Amino acid sequence: MNWWDDALHRATAEVLLAGALAGLVGVHVVLRRLSFFTMALTHATFPGVVAASIIGVNIVVGGVVAGAIVALGVAALSRHKSQNTAAATGVLLSGGFALGAGLVATQNGFSRDLTSFLVGSILTVSPQDLGTTAVVLVVVAAVLLACARPLRYTGFDRTGAQAAGFATGVWDVVLLLAIQVAVVTIVPAIGTILALALIVAPAAAARQWSHRLSVITALAVTLGALSGLGGLYASSRWDVAAGASITLTATAILALSTVLSRLVRSRPTATGRLRAFPA
Amino acid sequence: MIEPFTVPFMGRALAELALLALVCGPVSVFVFARRLSFVSDALTHTVFPGVVVGFLAGGIEGIVVGALVAGVVTAVALTLLSRGGALSDDAATAVVLTAMFSIGVVLVSRRSSYTSDLTSFLFGRILTVTPRQIAETAVLAVVILGLLLISARALVFRTFDPAGAAAAGFRIAGLDLLLNIIVALVVVAAVRAVGTILVVALLIVPAATARMLTARLPLMAVIGTGLILVAAYGGLLASWTASVDHGISLTSASAVVLLLVLAYLLLLPLGALRSRRKHGRIISSEARRSPHELVG
Repeated sequence: MNWWDDALHRATAEVLLAGALAGLVGVHVVLRRLSFFTMALTHATFPGVVAASIIGVNIVVGGVVAGAIVALGVAALSRHKSQNTAAATGVLLSGGFALGAGLVATQNGFSRDLTSFLVGSILTVSPQDLGTTAVVLVVVAAVLLACARPLRYTGFDRTGAQAAGFATGVWDVVLLLAIQVAVVTIVPAIGTILALALIVAPAAAARQWSHRLSVITALAVTLGALSGLGGLYASSRWDVAAGASITLTATAILALSTVLSRLVRSRPTATGRLRAFPA
Repeated sequence: MIEPFTVPFMGRALAELALLALVCGPVSVFVFARRLSFVSDALTHTVFPGVVVGFLAGGIEGIVVGALVAGVVTAVALTLLSRGGALSDDAATAVVLTAMFSIGVVLVSRRSSYTSDLTSFLFGRILTVTPRQIAETAVLAVVILGLLLISARALVFRTFDPAGAAAAGFRIAGLDLLLNIIVALVVVAAVRAVGTILVVALLIVPAATARMLTARLPLMAVIGTGLILVAAYGGLLASWTASVDHGISLTSASAVVLLLVLAYLLLLPLGALRSRRKHGRIISSEARRSPHELVG
């Protein structure tokens, strides 16, 4: 019997890959406050996924197309003077989700798939899903590594980057597209809620421990994979939904990191204490 | 054009949406100005464990109480976390959202068939609204409008000049908590009848659309309420016509949301024109709070 034939083995591999991918983009999501954009992506790419499965194309392709529209839409709408980005993102989220739900309702017997889309079904992940996740992990890692300098510069000092001749608008779009591709890849395998949890919680936990981007990234990837493994174990041990127990594990890691890092930092020096308790 | 609404269930659906329009117009103005879109979206998910616990403890009657408790717990948690400073507020919102929703999923996943419960929770059943639900919504609507009426001046002060409001003796944390609780009450009032998709849309889209036409807050609230009424009427009529006359099943909640978003997109050019003409009189142009902020 092949090692991949066991559902739990496939789930373990997927959770490791998805955790790593989520950790990679999660660092940027947390540092640039893109959590709501991520949440909007998970819902607004839904019509693309449904439309692709109705006409019979690969659903990841449908999701990527819809995600690209959403990413460009958010970038365009937030340049609009009277609109704030939160509102523009919210409009795209509800519009996209309603469109997807409307499309689903025209097909009969789709609601089961809908539920698994939202809460995820990591235990039924297929070898193709695994392959896609692995390929996207490599591509996104390569893009983020190759563009690390302009992305970092734009993120931390926008005016400086503009003055130095970087096209900040273009780099924003590159980042949004990278996040979009990662989200679209992991959502069909693990569900929207778990995707959001795996992207935000490990990166936020890693942020508590360091100010260095490289350290934060390495930690986020590790913590993401760890939450996945711990959650899968808890799920099989106590017979609860896998996606939910992974989410709760990631949340627990974040809560522990917040408390522990404050304890560690408040001990040694006066400056450490100042940093741990901002006014 | 009023003939479909003489059918009892269509009339009740329209009544429920009209009640929500009264509440969501003013509340969405604050959601827009304080940038609480993500918080509203989070609240629609975090009431879920409350719904489950309420149903397990008290049957159908327990749902509203459970949802109320979960909504208030979320409002308190979000206010505390965003003032704690350890996490940025959007990350805190995301974590609270996913954690509470997962608690709900863990609770239902131990029962046999939870997929249909979950689906109806997400999409609501606007066409099966009962008179009892309408009465619940009406009571909550009165409470919400009363709270808003008492606190509107303080909330507006805090929105546009937090430092000034604090100096004038207003308690910022209390006001933030109050607004979060108001949004939570709206979600509780609406979510079982109309589902999460429609609630999120009703809290975000009306004020964002009205903002293209005016920068005055009371006017934005009135336009928002009017927009919801028009979209509710149009959406229900469209879904009725599509399914009765043409045999296409068009979900009424989706139809209402899509009409609202359509209005937003149609008014976009008008908003661009306005902001070009009246430079500088922009209400929510508070500077980006941090250099890394791109969205939210």
